[in-house]
Amino acid sequence: MLNHYPLLTILIFLPLAGCLLLLPFWNRAAIARSVAFGIAAVELALAGWLYSSWRVLEGAPTKLPGYLLLEDAPWIPAFGIRYTLGLDGISLLMVMLTSFTFCVALAVSWNAIKERVALFLTLMLVMEAGIMGVFLSLDLALFYLFWEIMLIPMFFLIGIWGHGRKIYSTLKFFLFTMFGSLLMLLAIIALHLLHARQSGVSTFGLPELLHTTLPFATQLWLFAAFFLAFAIKFPLFPLHTWLPDAHTDAPTAGSVVLAGLLLKTGSYGLIRFGYPLFPLAAQALTPLFYTLALLGIFYASLVAFAQEDMKRLIAYSSIGHMGYVAIGIAAWQPVALSGSILQMANHGVTTGALFCLIGMLDERAHTREIAAFGGVWGKMPLWSFFFLIFSLTSIGVPGLNSFVGEFLILAGTIKQSPLVVILSFVGIVLPLIYMVRLVQEVLFQKERQPLALTDLNLREITILAALLLLDLWVGVHPAPLLDMIHLPVQLLTGVAP
Amino acid sequence: MTSTDLMTLMPLMILAGGSVLVLLSGAVKPGGYLYGLAGALITAALLWNLLIPVDAGMPGLAVTPFSRFFATFLDSAGLIALLLASGYNRRRGIICEEYPATILFALAGMGAACAATDLLMLFLGLEAFTFAFYILVAIQRDSAKGGEAGLKYLLNGTLSAAILAMGMALVYAARGSLKLSELASANGTPEPLFMAGACLILLGMAFKLSLVPAHLWTADVYQGAPAPVTALLSTASKGASLAALLLLLPLFGRWRGLHDILWLTVLFSMVAGNLAALVQSNLKRMLAWSSVGQMGYIALALVALPAGGAGAAVFYLVGYAAAGLTAFGVISVLSGEGEDEQDTIETYRGLGYRNPLAGATLAVAMFSLAGIPPTAGFMGKFAVFSSALRSGEYALALVGILSAMVAVFFYLRLVVVMYMKPAEQPEETIRTLNISEIIVLLVPAAVMVLLGVYPQPLLELLEKILP
Repeated sequence: MLNHYPLLTILIFLPLAGCLLLLPFWNRAAIARSVAFGIAAVELALAGWLYSSWRVLEGAPTKLPGYLLLEDAPWIPAFGIRYTLGLDGISLLMVMLTSFTFCVALAVSWNAIKERVALFLTLMLVMEAGIMGVFLSLDLALFYLFWEIMLIPMFFLIGIWGHGRKIYSTLKFFLFTMFGSLLMLLAIIALHLLHARQSGVSTFGLPELLHTTLPFATQLWLFAAFFLAFAIKFPLFPLHTWLPDAHTDAPTAGSVVLAGLLLKTGSYGLIRFGYPLFPLAAQALTPLFYTLALLGIFYASLVAFAQEDMKRLIAYSSIGHMGYVAIGIAAWQPVALSGSILQMANHGVTTGALFCLIGMLDERAHTREIAAFGGVWGKMPLWSFFFLIFSLTSIGVPGLNSFVGEFLILAGTIKQSPLVVILSFVGIVLPLIYMVRLVQEVLFQKERQPLALTDLNLREITILAALLLLDLWVGVHPAPLLDMIHLPVQLLTGVAP
Repeated sequence: MTSTDLMTLMPLMILAGGSVLVLLSGAVKPGGYLYGLAGALITAALLWNLLIPVDAGMPGLAVTPFSRFFATFLDSAGLIALLLASGYNRRRGIICEEYPATILFALAGMGAACAATDLLMLFLGLEAFTFAFYILVAIQRDSAKGGEAGLKYLLNGTLSAAILAMGMALVYAARGSLKLSELASANGTPEPLFMAGACLILLGMAFKLSLVPAHLWTADVYQGAPAPVTALLSTASKGASLAALLLLLPLFGRWRGLHDILWLTVLFSMVAGNLAALVQSNLKRMLAWSSVGQMGYIALALVALPAGGAGAAVFYLVGYAAAGLTAFGVISVLSGEGEDEQDTIETYRGLGYRNPLAGATLAVAMFSLAGIPPTAGFMGKFAVFSSALRSGEYALALVGILSAMVAVFFYLRLVVVMYMKPAEQPEETIRTLNISEIIVLLVPAAVMVLLGVYPQPLLELLEKILP
């Protein structure tokens, strides 16, 4: 029944339609905020409804195994591009994460963004549409289109509402990601042409392109281009330098979306397109992938330890955490891959929450220097409570979501390469060091500067409580989510036929 | 001349006769109404093209779907440039009947070039509109920059005309025919005399298209000419030249040398244009250098001619023209009464808020030129690189993508200035736009977005009309 409606199209285009709704309220910030949040809430409700009915949908299989919903229509036949959208368990998890993150990002910036509010909201909604598109596209050209479209709002978001060296940061962010994307565009076209030469069918559809037989050398070139684009977004070790700048200078909402979603598009792309399309090349490059991931974990953790700016510290910790996601993907084994996918969502929640917390502190103290704080627990007990919990999550304390993801990743990988797992266990200790330092200096030490800090208000408590609820839910009872991604993961790793 | 011939030639006659009409009316009663008259004449030619599709040939000219497509495109660009000029010229005191009359004359020349079936008519058409631009570039008589630009364009232009004429003469000497169809159908390896002529023709065309090595005039002329003239020069004249080049390319048959010459031209145009644009602080110069790069992409599609490159080239051109009209259009409408136009990039600080419409359309144009979706520029690059890869031009495609990367930086720099740097004097107001200016900026911007979202109809059309 559900698949009679173009639900996926609605998911993508509802935020765009919402932009039109904002037009009458262009100069009335309060109403515009409510309208935009309303749209984001409808998206969340839609995602929640899809989640509640995924088992029903699985009972009525679509043409493609593993997919719950499919939409397909010709779009640009002259190029062989179709408008193909598909939703499987993995996309559904990402759609849920996206709709939730945007609600959080809009709510957290309710009072922080005071200038050009309507423009800000429009950009946020366009970005939501773009990211939804990335997670739902099954046509490579369509995917690429959304992949680029989602960058434009972020470019403006950092550049207009950012702090510090915002223009430098936003250009760096845009050019880094464009560099990888453009090479990927060439690879996508090349793959399309190779397929057309083999089968005579001109298409960018993922299901068809999966059947292209490619010699190893060709696979290697094409995979390298895809890998570069995704690794920059990820971000993997030597390509990560845009991330700390972009995060530090972005407004809180921008950081939340950046950490929560944009990084995930990189790992999602690798899972959905990179590995399945070029299995041989991916296998050959696995050692490199492991190495970069491990280097990233160690390097980011060490650099994080030396940071004075709280936001920059979390940005570096983000690189380290994404390293584990990378290891799980590199192992390409059901348990590890499930862990990676779950960890993508977990990282979005945890890091998103930490950025929210720092943003709230920054709004009150107008500084993010660790050295400026101390004894915050006495002044802002509620804030400190949430900060402590999410710091513990970040370290990987059992019962909270990160533990589940990291455990699955390492448990799955150990069969493939014990050495990597041993080294990553060492890496797990490192966040402990810098997070404990952060918590200890900010929450518990003596007050170093007389700052007038008020504790959280109801809006902020609601945001953080929602994040915490998710954190605990996945930490204690991840089974429903793991069930949801079970079949797609089996299909991807070739365990299920 | 039969009545069918009259019907087919009517758009050209409206434009050419209209030019004389405007000139005469101006002598009797000068005034701003002449722009309206010229606009009405262009619209009439445009509608005739669209609504009365009669295809027929006569000596030297043949109206085909190909020529009608280009005529429609060129007349639209001409109409937009004329509307831009009417306000601009009034503000800056260029009131004279020469301006609209010359534009009509230029459009007539362009129309003839697209419909030519022999070398003579092609030369006539090309040089007719180039001649019109000699006048238009220097039309602001009291402007030193305009005079300099006019002289540079004149000197370079006459040289290239001489080269073109020499090439055609050699071709005629070798084959004894001026008909394009007869010249193209000859088989076998071309004789050296013919080849020398054809190469000279190619060099002459490179001048018109601002391709390396004949690109050096571009920056000075684009900068010195009044912005509405540059708008036309950078779009319609490129369009007509591309049409002419598409008519000329069959002359080369399957000669491998053509590929090699174009290959080098494309390489250097993409790299030189985009690198030079990187360091410009004047918006018009930046757009001029970047147009050398953009023409490189169009020529890249021509290198891949056997793999459906012609359609890609023309599609790219339409997107490029929309962006060029918008960008130079914004410069035109923002330039007030002062001596200098508003063309240094720094003066665009905060434009996105001081004049949201001009800022937004200029931003769309920059995104399109940079090839970022959902704009025509992206679809154009997609088409061009698809055909390049299909014909095996991997190296050129790679260099092209990397130079496009460079281009992203300088196009976005303007967006950064417009939206992310506060204006020095926030209260400084920008003149409000009138309705015709709003339309003139919105139409090309809408074309860019529409072609970026749904390019299929234009692609289908091009597939049908291109050989």
